[in-house]
Formats: sequence, C-alpha cells, structure tokens
Amino acid sequence: MRTVGRADGWAKVTGRAAYAGDVRLPGMLYAALVRSPHPHARLLRVVKDAAWSVPGVCAVLTGEDVPYGTYGRRVRDMPVLAREVVRFAGERVAAVAAHSLQAAREAARRVEVHYEPLPAVLDPEEALRPDAPRVHEAAWRYPGAVVGPDDPPNLQSRRVWQYGEDVDAVLSRCPYVFDETYTIPAAHQGYLEPHACVAWWKPDGSVEVWASNKSPHRLRAQLAACLGVPADRVRVMPVYVGGDFGGKGSPMDVPVCVALSQATGRPVKLVVDYEEDLTAANPRHSAVVRVRLGVDGEGRMQALDVRAVVDGGAYAAFKPVEHVNLNGFAEAGNTYRIRAVRIESLIAYTNTVPRGHMRSPGSLEANFAVESTVDVAARALRLDPLEFRLRNVLRTGDRGTLGEPWMEVRGEEVARAALAALREGEGAGEESTADGGRWARGVGFAFYCRAAHGGETEVELRPQPDGSVVVRVPFPDQGGGQHTVVRNVVQRELALPAEAVWVQQADTEELGTDSGVGGSRVSLTASAAAAQACAQLRERLRQEGLEGWELRAALAELARRRPGESVRAQVKVDEELWMNSFCVQAARVRVDRDTGEVRVDELVTALDVAGVLNPPSHRAQVEGGVVMGLGSALCEEVVMEDGRVVSGNLHEYRLPSVSTLPRLRVVLVPGGRGWGPYGVKPVGEMTNVAVAAAVANAVADAVGVRVRRLPISAEAVYRAMQEAGR
Amino acid sequence: MSARTVELFVNGRRVQAPVEGAEFLAEFLRERLGLAGTKVGCGIGACGLCTVWMDGQVVSSCLVPAVVAAGRHVWTVEGLTDLAEGRVTDAPPGLPSPQLVQAVQRAFVQCEGLQCGICTPGQVWAVCALLSEEPRPSEERVREFLAGNLCRCTGYQGILRAVRQASEEWAPSEDP
Repeated sequence: MRTVGRADGWAKVTGRAAYAGDVRLPGMLYAALVRSPHPHARLLRVVKDAAWSVPGVCAVLTGEDVPYGTYGRRVRDMPVLAREVVRFAGERVAAVAAHSLQAAREAARRVEVHYEPLPAVLDPEEALRPDAPRVHEAAWRYPGAVVGPDDPPNLQSRRVWQYGEDVDAVLSRCPYVFDETYTIPAAHQGYLEPHACVAWWKPDGSVEVWASNKSPHRLRAQLAACLGVPADRVRVMPVYVGGDFGGKGSPMDVPVCVALSQATGRPVKLVVDYEEDLTAANPRHSAVVRVRLGVDGEGRMQALDVRAVVDGGAYAAFKPVEHVNLNGFAEAGNTYRIRAVRIESLIAYTNTVPRGHMRSPGSLEANFAVESTVDVAARALRLDPLEFRLRNVLRTGDRGTLGEPWMEVRGEEVARAALAALREGEGAGEESTADGGRWARGVGFAFYCRAAHGGETEVELRPQPDGSVVVRVPFPDQGGGQHTVVRNVVQRELALPAEAVWVQQADTEELGTDSGVGGSRVSLTASAAAAQACAQLRERLRQEGLEGWELRAALAELARRRPGESVRAQVKVDEELWMNSFCVQAARVRVDRDTGEVRVDELVTALDVAGVLNPPSHRAQVEGGVVMGLGSALCEEVVMEDGRVVSGNLHEYRLPSVSTLPRLRVVLVPGGRGWGPYGVKPVGEMTNVAVAAAVANAVADAVGVRVRRLPISAEAVYRAMQEAGR
Repeated sequence: MSARTVELFVNGRRVQAPVEGAEFLAEFLRERLGLAGTKVGCGIGACGLCTVWMDGQVVSSCLVPAVVAAGRHVWTVEGLTDLAEGRVTDAPPGLPSPQLVQAVQRAFVQCEGLQCGICTPGQVWAVCALLSEEPRPSEERVREFLAGNLCRCTGYQGILRAVRQASEEWAPSEDP
C-alpha cells in the first residue's frame, strides 16, 4: 500500500490540530479545582466567602450544589464533587469558575475546607480484611457494582479464570514447584496532554462537550447517565487527543465542568495541571502477584496458579469492562502448554488515587510475575531459559491455557527470529570491556501473547463536487494512526490519490455507533467498515449509471446530481476472534557491580504480523510501545507516601527521553493470519508488556540476583546484590 | 485581579493584552492571543511542549513570565508555519529559513515523527533551531539537543529519522 505520511500529519506539524484545551468560545469561563489533602476524611464544612471575594468569580460549587448522580465507565461510584467524605488525597472537593484562569486559581486557593481526618486503608491486602476501615459504606449499591453485601467490604471485583485439571492436585504431584511473589507499582500513562475539557450547558438544555477522551460515544452515554438527561441532549464534539495509553477513556473532570457551565450559563474550560493529573487522575493499578509454577522431571510446565491482589484505589469508576477487573491477568502463562491453570485477581478499594487502564491493562502485571518465575525455574533446573521456554511454548493446534481454540500460535518462529537478531547484535556496543570487571553483562528473554478483540464502528463517505471523498469517522485519532488507516483503505478501495481522501472526525450527533479507540481494535473495525462503505459507494455509482466513468469524474457527477448524499457502513466484529499475536523480547544489559546501575544496551523485539495497513504507523506503534515498556522496567513509578502521591511532576516522574535510549531492534515476522478484508492483527498493546521481564531476566543473567519489584532501579539491584552477598 | 497591559511582538506583529498575576507566556499566547498551537504539558519546563522562539533562541514559554516577554520578539508554531508558507515578508535575523522549516515539517509527516501530535509544535521548533545552527549534527548531538522535548508516543525513533531526513535535505552530504 502507498504511504504518503500521516493523514493528520500536516495539521499537527503546523499547530493547526485542535485539542480540547485549545477550544475558546465567546464568553467562556475558566475553572479550577480544590482537592483534598487527606486520604480519608469527613468534610465538615466549606467556607466560600473568601473565594467569592476574588474579582471575576462566577461560581463556587461544592458537592451539595451539584444536582447530578455519581458517574463511572461501568461502576458509577464516583461523585462529581465529594459529599460528606473524601476518599483519597486529590479528590475534588470544590470547583470554581471565573473570567480568567488566574482568578479561578486564586479563588480556588481561597476556598476554606474543614476536614476531620478518618482512619485510612492504604494497602489492598489489609483492605480485604473484615475489620479494615471501609472506603465506601455499601459499595455493592452503586449502579454497575459486581460485588454483593456478603463480599469483603472493600472488594471492587474478584475474578477467577481456570481451565484444565485441578491446579492444587497437579501442583502436589510436581517434583518442582516455584513459589514467587512480584510487586508492580502504580504508573502514570504518561500522555503529555493533561486532562482538558470545555463544556457548555446551552440555554435550550442541551450540552456540548469538547474533551480529551478517546471514546466520544461512550462518554456521551456516561455523561447522560450522570446528568440524568437523555443521551441525545449531550453532544461530544471532535477534537484530537494528546496521548491516551488507556488513561483517556473516562469522563474524568467533564461532569464538574458541565456543572460549572450549568451554574453560570456560560461555556467553561477546565484544564488540570500536570501535577493534578499525576496525583489525582487514573494511574495503572498496582499489584502484588503470587505465582506458583509446577514443573515435571522433563522440564515441562504442568500447573500454574496465579493470585493477584490489586489496588483499585478509592473508586472503581475508571474500569470499563463488565467484570470490573483487568483482562490482562487472563493472559498469565498463556504462551505455554500448561494442563492446569487457575488465575485469581482480587481488586480492593483503598484510600488512594483511583486506578484506571494503562496500555494492555493487567498484562504487564501478569507478564512480569510469570515470565520472571519461568526464568527462575529454568535457572533452578539448569536449563537455558530460552530453551526451557521453547520446550513449553504453545503451538498451532494446541488449546490455549484457558481453552481458547486459537487459529494459530507463532511463538516458536517469533522466538527464533528474536534470537537471530540478538546474535547479529552480539559484540556491538561492548567497546568498553577494559572496565576492570565493573560491568557484568547479561541477556534475558520474555514472551508475550495477546488475543485480538472486536468492537463496532461506522464510516461515512461523502463524495465532493471536485471528485474527492470526505470520510467521516466517529472516533478521534489519539495518536494510534487510525485516521491514516482509514484513509489508506479508502484510497486503495477506490483507487484514489491520497490528496483526494480527507478523513474527518464527526461529532456524536452525526454518526451513531462506535466502541471507541482502545483494546487495539480500531484498525480491525475501521478497516472493515471503510472497505464496506467503499463497496456501497461503488454500488451507488452503478445505480446512477456511472460505472463506466473515470472514478473522480463519477464521484463529482454523483455529488452534483445528489448534493449532500453519502453512504454509511456499520460493522460489528465479534468480541472473540480466536486470533492472537505473539511477541518475544530480548534485552542485553550491563549491570554495575558496585552501584547496581542497569544499562540496557540493546532491546530486540520480534513480533508476529499479518497484513499491515500503514507500515510507518505500525512501526511507530511497535517502537513507541518498546520505549514505554523500558520506562515501566527502569524508571516509572507513581510513588505514594501515607496514601498521597509524591511524584509531583515530570522532573520526578521520569519518562524515557531520547538521550537515554538503548539500541532498539525490531523484527517483524510476516505471514500471520489476520482478520477482515485486509487480514490485520492488532499491534498497539503488544510491545510494551514483556520488556520489564526481559530486563529483569537479563539482570539475573548478569549478576545472579532476582529483582522482584518494578521499576528495576539501581537501589533495588544493589540491595538484591547485598542480600545475596555478591 | 489587578491586570496590567503587556506589549510585545508575536510572529512579527505588535500585540497588546492584559496580564494578570503570575501569568506565563504560554498561557498568554494561548488564552489571550488565541495562538493555541503552542501546547502546555508539565508547566515546569520539563517536557518541551511549550517550546517557542524568543529573541534568537528556543525557550520553554511556561517558564517565561508574560511581563518578562514585554518588548521581546516571540515566534510560535503559527509564525513558523507562516514563514514556511511564504506569508512572512520581513523575518528578523536568526529565524530559521523557510526552506528549512518546510523540510522539517515534511520530514515529521513522512517519517512518522509524530503520533498524537501534542509534543509536535515543540519538537518542530527545537529541530528547526538545531538545524538552523548545525545543519549536519551527529546523532549523539541530536539526542542531547532534544533531551528536553519529551514524546510518549513514538519512542523517538520516528523523530530521529525525521531529523536525519530534514538534515540530509537541508544540507546534503558531500559524501558519495
């Protein structure tokens, strides 16, 4: 397929692409929020007088002033502004709107809030004990809750996946059982655009919203449920989203922005500071994951028992899936043949920042724990870790660990490709061997396998009088390149040049169906919908007797004969496709024996691919994922002390920078069987997952110590070396 | 709140607008002047999203108090684009040449030097500033110069490819 650069490229390099925070409307006010400094406290009273004394202030709201219900993506447990009690440090307590941002901030500083601190529960394991302080009095009463009155009081969700024989029975027969526990901290998605929105409650009672949100149709439904109005009264307008990585799928601060607009009768803009986003948005779940892996005398895995205790924070509102858990845990061990598997994930409420999705939610947590344990087992059994993996790797024809009838599994060839690439890189970057033995070198592998899922969307084609086509889609491009994918499909189906195809995001009133960007599903659904719309358009041209015409002339003629006419195609793709993608990553590291400092010299990523709709965007998804994985492996943690996030801003929460990257080698292994008219496989959540385990395994290879907590900092390695007496 | 009026030159035009309290240049450009191409990320000079050109060098506009910019010449991504698209007739000395800006913008689009785009105006400014001074920087120099311009989407590989392509086009290598 021809590649001429991204469809959204020129808008972005010229600064013309509009994001939510860029919207300015006549008479618009600016908002600022007052947040709780306490993890758990009773709200005694709020004094607004000093805030009102700031010139230009138009509204000062507290929970009692907001006539809406609670909100959430599935469980509606989050108040728009706290009422009576605050449940995490950073929770919204009051909101101010004023004529300028400076005035709004000044007024917010002057809101006096009186609290009575309450005992807080900050650890999920403690939270699940019967005598723990309760985060919510009756969490099962919230709409969408998946717990009952007999469950532990702070339970958000419990999910068990199991298949095959009884795990305990098989484990008891295994000559080798490895029992390991790993800790994965909270992390921020790292999108560089903090949450932003503009809301306008119009005089006719309808609401217009511009928001940094990747699922406009779902946002509309969630807002309507919160505001208590029919969904068609809410209109979500198209804007670009400045990075998402799972963190931009919720209403977040939109409801409070709507409340300020309703109270003032004016449009209101609310852009949070990066500090607020880091401390009070929806970071990745932290988890403690215990793994028991049983292996027989031939080095074959027999049983896997995984139990994760996960911190969900103060609200469950940011988890979108029906069971309010993390699907990634279901992948534990799924790269191998194992006859007995049981996985349990318990998510608890605590008085900490509510957790949300981050690129491949649950996957990193499960993968780091299981792939580290697999390495521990290999080393204990004196097997080469890659050889041990290949002996057990799932193959085409095998049922998956949870009984999945996969159409193919390409783990072995992907692993061989990774190994070949790693060997090619041998010796490179090792010029400093005369270092007096300070640096120990090692290599580590990790496997990852992820299922593809369907979804639904709609694409509309509008022929133009100049013979071009405007393509309307209901989803934003949050960076994933989906607008470019749609453009390429339309170009190819209609044999048009790129400049004759213009992709636009429609607002929620114009197109009716979409499950949003996420779950790596949009290339599947959007390419199928675009291809179908093109077939319908060709049929329309035939009906008009234009099939013999040159296509651009035919499109122009159709636009002239039937001004404004368009064709639309909706597709709904099954949730389960029994298609997966396989990724093998290998890290080559150096560890400073004196300080524990870890340097990744090279990171190899081998990935199973099928049809690729836009090779540069596909490559960028792969590379961006690898670097995000390096951040999780080496430096990223949302640090909490006494329940408060203390990673104040990007000088403390360190994202990978261009100056600190290793050599990245990407090997695409073509020939996979994809889905749909273009035979595609998802890519967006494949390459950020196994990096952490690969690096940890390489560190173990280099200095013989196992780091069981992320990130793999110099301190952690140093301490592990001290404990091991190395 | 007490406001005072600040006068400066933005993209070659004299502008006047009120400034309140601790208002910084980034906010002034975006909210007072409506030049929303300049983005704001961390607000503390750690991410590079708000990079603009001021009197000969690129700066983080979130760190420059609006009152400090009084009387100065500031160029944003909108002005940079005007320059590239031939709408600037009297560019002050020190600004990148229009051909360089075109090469950089084109390279970012073609090499997937961007994804979500929120860091892109700042990246484009930083790369234009670098290549304007050093047309053929080493990769190490590029990495060092761009260390303060974070990107979460691309893993930087597309940005590095874009810089190489733009550099090659702007200052072709003499080597065979």
